[in-house]
Amino acid sequence: MGNLGQIITFLSAGIAMGVGAIGAGIGEGHTGGKAVQVSARQPGVQDKIMKSMLIGQAIIESSSIYALIVAILLIFSSPEQTTSIVKPAAILSAGICMGFGALGTGLGKGYTASKGVEGIGRSPHNEPIIFRTMLIGQAVAESTSIYALVISLLLIYTI
Amino acid sequence: MHEVGSIDTTSFNIAGLDITFNHHTLIMTWIVIFVILIAFFLLKRKINKIPGRGQALLELIIDSFDGLVKESIGENHRKYLPFILTIFIFVLISNWIGIVPIIEEPTKDLNTPMGLGILVLFVTVYSGIRYNGFFGFIKEFFEPVWFLFPINIVGEIGKFLSLIFRLFGNIFGGSVIIWVAFTMFLKSWWTSWILLFLGPAVYGFFGLFIGAIQAFVFAILSMTYISITKN
Repeated sequence: MGNLGQIITFLSAGIAMGVGAIGAGIGEGHTGGKAVQVSARQPGVQDKIMKSMLIGQAIIESSSIYALIVAILLIFSSPEQTTSIVKPAAILSAGICMGFGALGTGLGKGYTASKGVEGIGRSPHNEPIIFRTMLIGQAVAESTSIYALVISLLLIYTI
Repeated sequence: MHEVGSIDTTSFNIAGLDITFNHHTLIMTWIVIFVILIAFFLLKRKINKIPGRGQALLELIIDSFDGLVKESIGENHRKYLPFILTIFIFVLISNWIGIVPIIEEPTKDLNTPMGLGILVLFVTVYSGIRYNGFFGFIKEFFEPVWFLFPINIVGEIGKFLSLIFRLFGNIFGGSVIIWVAFTMFLKSWWTSWILLFLGPAVYGFFGLFIGAIQAFVFAILSMTYISITKN
């Protein structure tokens, strides 16, 4: 029972990072694949497609960066030896919360970025408008994983 | 090891009130302000009809943001341009200054993004009331039916909460990752040479690239929120 806190902390870190990486991975792969397809069709605007792809992928990655923060904080936080079950439960809950919170936004932002890249390939002269709309859409889609980050930081530090 | 992400604070006790200053963040913020002042003073020193290098850079920044703000905000966009541009440049230099040793990013502390976010919230509410009237601004919260009022309020607060925590989370995460990489590889002499290649890469990606993108996203989202309530 003495080691329960440590076991739960490491389990929680694994869940947070492992599940949190799924969404961002799928999203970034989807965006990259769409960029390859579009630049095969329109090789002349490959630099514009590359720019939108890279910046879109950087924003997709931020939800898995949140999962990484939570996992690192869990690994390097020293769990106290408590007999209470509340603190380990809160730690496990923080990992699950961040992992699944990052999963959905990764998929959603990947969808947005791939559509943005496709749109730029279809009408390259409208690139500034499409790019800005893509950024705003991704930022709004990201807000749910930010709520997950806030809740898991609260669970780690306040309970 | 549990000191990850802690911030130095100084506490005073004046007349029974506990006042806490995050002195590290304050000093770094003043350093950022002086860096911006000196850099832009040097850049704008020689204004000619035929622009030199510094003037061309300034004109490039101002002109591109002028186009963005004009498309989004519409009438009176010149009144909002200095605000948006100031936020962008302050956040950009704050994120970039972390690559200098010893100096840390002011945006790593939650209070700096929180202050900027509250500033944007005030400007948003002010421009909503100024351009639509008080009742026109309040009426937006009762759309489409009146009992959705609490949900609209929560959604409005959530917008600004996500604006604040996006900047904080990315910069804080970057600094935590840099700290972990350096403490892991500096443990013994035969792994520390990896930092010769890994260190600049980590600083370049998390300091320069993510910092620039997050500064741009912060400025663009503030502009969009202002334009939603204004129009």
